[in-house]
Amino acid sequence: MRKELEAQLAAQLRDEVVCVEKTDQRTIFIDVKREAIRRAARIVTEAGGRYMCGVGYDNIARDGTLGMVHTFSMDRNDHFICVRTKVPAIDPVMESITPDLPSAGWSEREFMDMLGMQFTNHPKPKRLVLADDWPAGIYPLRKEVPYDLVPPGADDVAYQLDEAPPGTKIVPIGPFHPSLHEPEHFAVYVDGETIKGCDYRGFMTHRGIEKLCQTQVSYNEVPFIAERICGICGSVHATAFSQAVESAGGIKIPRRAEYIRTLMLEIERIHSHLLWLGVAGHLIGFDTVFMQAWRVREQLMWLCERLTGNRKTYGMVLIGGVRRDITPEIADDIRAVVKKIEEELRVIHRAIEKDSSIHKRTKGVGTITKEETIAWGLIGPVARARGVDIDARRDHPYAAYNDMKFDVPVLTDCDVWSTLVVRVLETYEAIRIIHQVLDKMPAGPIFVELKDKIPALRHAITTVEAPRGESTHYVITGEDNRPDRWRVRAPTYTNLQAVPLMLLNEQFGDFPIIMGSIDPCFSCTDRVAVIDLQSGKASSMTRRELEFLSREQLHRA
Amino acid sequence: MNPTTETAWLLVGTNLLLFLALAPLFDGIVRRVAARVQNRQGPPLWQPLYDLLKLLGKENIDAVGILPFRLAPLVALASILCVVMILPVAGRATALTPYADTLTLIYLLTLGGVAVLVGAFSGKNIFALIGASREMTTMIMVEPILFMILLLGVIKTGSLELTTVLYGTPAGDYGWSGLIMIVIALFALQAFVGRQPFDIAEAEQELLGGPFIEYSGPNYALFKYYMMIKQMFYAYLPIAVFVPLLHSGLLVVDLILQLLLTALVFLVIGLLAATHPRYRIDQALNYFAGLFVLALGAVAGALFG
Repeated sequence: MRKELEAQLAAQLRDEVVCVEKTDQRTIFIDVKREAIRRAARIVTEAGGRYMCGVGYDNIARDGTLGMVHTFSMDRNDHFICVRTKVPAIDPVMESITPDLPSAGWSEREFMDMLGMQFTNHPKPKRLVLADDWPAGIYPLRKEVPYDLVPPGADDVAYQLDEAPPGTKIVPIGPFHPSLHEPEHFAVYVDGETIKGCDYRGFMTHRGIEKLCQTQVSYNEVPFIAERICGICGSVHATAFSQAVESAGGIKIPRRAEYIRTLMLEIERIHSHLLWLGVAGHLIGFDTVFMQAWRVREQLMWLCERLTGNRKTYGMVLIGGVRRDITPEIADDIRAVVKKIEEELRVIHRAIEKDSSIHKRTKGVGTITKEETIAWGLIGPVARARGVDIDARRDHPYAAYNDMKFDVPVLTDCDVWSTLVVRVLETYEAIRIIHQVLDKMPAGPIFVELKDKIPALRHAITTVEAPRGESTHYVITGEDNRPDRWRVRAPTYTNLQAVPLMLLNEQFGDFPIIMGSIDPCFSCTDRVAVIDLQSGKASSMTRRELEFLSREQLHRA
Repeated sequence: MNPTTETAWLLVGTNLLLFLALAPLFDGIVRRVAARVQNRQGPPLWQPLYDLLKLLGKENIDAVGILPFRLAPLVALASILCVVMILPVAGRATALTPYADTLTLIYLLTLGGVAVLVGAFSGKNIFALIGASREMTTMIMVEPILFMILLLGVIKTGSLELTTVLYGTPAGDYGWSGLIMIVIALFALQAFVGRQPFDIAEAEQELLGGPFIEYSGPNYALFKYYMMIKQMFYAYLPIAVFVPLLHSGLLVVDLILQLLLTALVFLVIGLLAATHPRYRIDQALNYFAGLFVLALGAVAGALFG
């Protein structure tokens, strides 16, 4: 793979290629001069690369440059290709690759905001991440900017929406709207009830977790912060970060720990898909599906409480392994719970499978073609519902997935209904994996002590298949026992970019479910915590109040 | 005043009292049924009444600042209360029934709907406007169905007089056209009461309450009360038209039986609402168009059959 690619690059770009190196079994780094970045990206795409994300980093202290990495996945032969370039900080201009790869649009805009890079020929060079009143010329991800800088606010600035197509009205969805659940703003341009366009202004809850972890904490604390990026796929982020550091530092973790990570990831997938099923029901005004799906989900949360002490945000993953072991008793508990969940989910599945009124609201809605899906680099159930057969668990196996037998459901109807079916089928597969994990788990330690210091300035990339699609983490190791750069690309970051395309010419009434069909997680995209933990208050309640609050909890005892 | 008129005025009061008291209770039934379908305990049966009282105790915010916005809820509630006052009680005309006929009934019902539209259109809220345009389209399609249900009675009895039209036809005389109309009335029920799958105008997840988005406090309470009473009227209508009176001779017995049957209709409403997603407006219009054609056929059948 490396040889062929190197030959291709050398032939087309000649001396603009600086070097091609393979750092591990999977990862190939290609360093090119900045003039060649767009052509290099094109060559990798033609060789079968699927764009994942861009990573910008500040290298000014070392050689006065800003670095930019465009990462690609070769799904058929398990490779990650990272096309790397650097530009001098005084003239940080390079060519945009967005005209070729639309899904690079946000990555480039993000580093215009955060690092002050400039991309020529970018089709929409608007602000993406920073607040509208953030002063120009301060780039938060540059090392010179302190992590706790609070510049003065301003009242007279506002985001300029894209121009509305003629004859349309603007319907403002958000920042607060019942179908969003998190603060984001969509301006939907409607002609009567038909959607003719849409502009998005998000990142309203950006709190700079990456910056925080690059400056304030140490390696071992980051997994817990990573877990709090998302209220639903926390283990995914913790695992992905830990794997990236382990890969950069050459740390081999015990097999049993990998099994336990797999277990937690699949439990999380069941939880997430049941949650989504409920939300989807709610979004089409079918609250019975909502209530029933969440009733089934609840037992999994109780299980996780017994397993980890928390209903969600498990806190299991560390660099070097996991924190808690699975005892035979808890293994039996898990088996019993997932078996019950499978039975109950099958009842719900049968009920909605033939429900013609649900078909009415979901079939043929939010349709985009397989070609468009590939062009936008969509991932997860959103892609698999449109005939794109990718799944990081199978294509880039991590943790214990190479020991697991499971199917990757792929449908070709290309609409909201198939995303629903894909998610339900995936839940059955997750339960299948959990049984295998518990049956095959080897004995042994669950954690390995880190003996050596993790060497600095190593680059590593990993992906973990989150319930919504792959989560990509890119780590550059640093000197002070913390990452020099840590980049998180959650699946919604990619999928959300194609939502305007899915909405085009659909009915306004379908906005909530089309939006919902990508299972959007804005907090992941913005990278903040959304969990609100209540504590302490229960102790001051009377027994009767508590009983009332936890009626269901008592029933299970 | 002779004793009969006195009784007739008493009936006006009875009807008002019954509708005002029972409409929230019946709404509570719908909520409880939905809760049970969803494995929930559900709110107390009187919860809708508590909601109303709470709303009535809140500050009245005039969000738009023009008179039509403030008047709309009053007009809506007043029009539906007029409907209640002219409505015969279990086959017996009230003191006000002779002053109205079937057409008055339809006018008054439409007036309530128009008041909702006026309230929504008086502001500039885009969600209210979209909701109101949906409400209007729904009204245009659904009101004719109501009209034809009543028209069937008019044709069968040859009178426009309300008591005769509602209660005048023995069930057997309806024939097959009546049977079709019963089916139509059932299929249109959810649209009449604005429940899933036809809660399209309010559509919480899309329009955040649509026409009512700018209303709060007492003004909103009036609209809510209007909708509850309207809902009770529409649930009671098929019982009055298609289910023969017991004629036990005792008004109270007849009335209680009718109210029990109405409660049963609410059970059906709750079940239907809990087992359907919301339709899109274009899908709903197709559905109504089908019902409309069917209703037209039934009326034609009654005329020529």
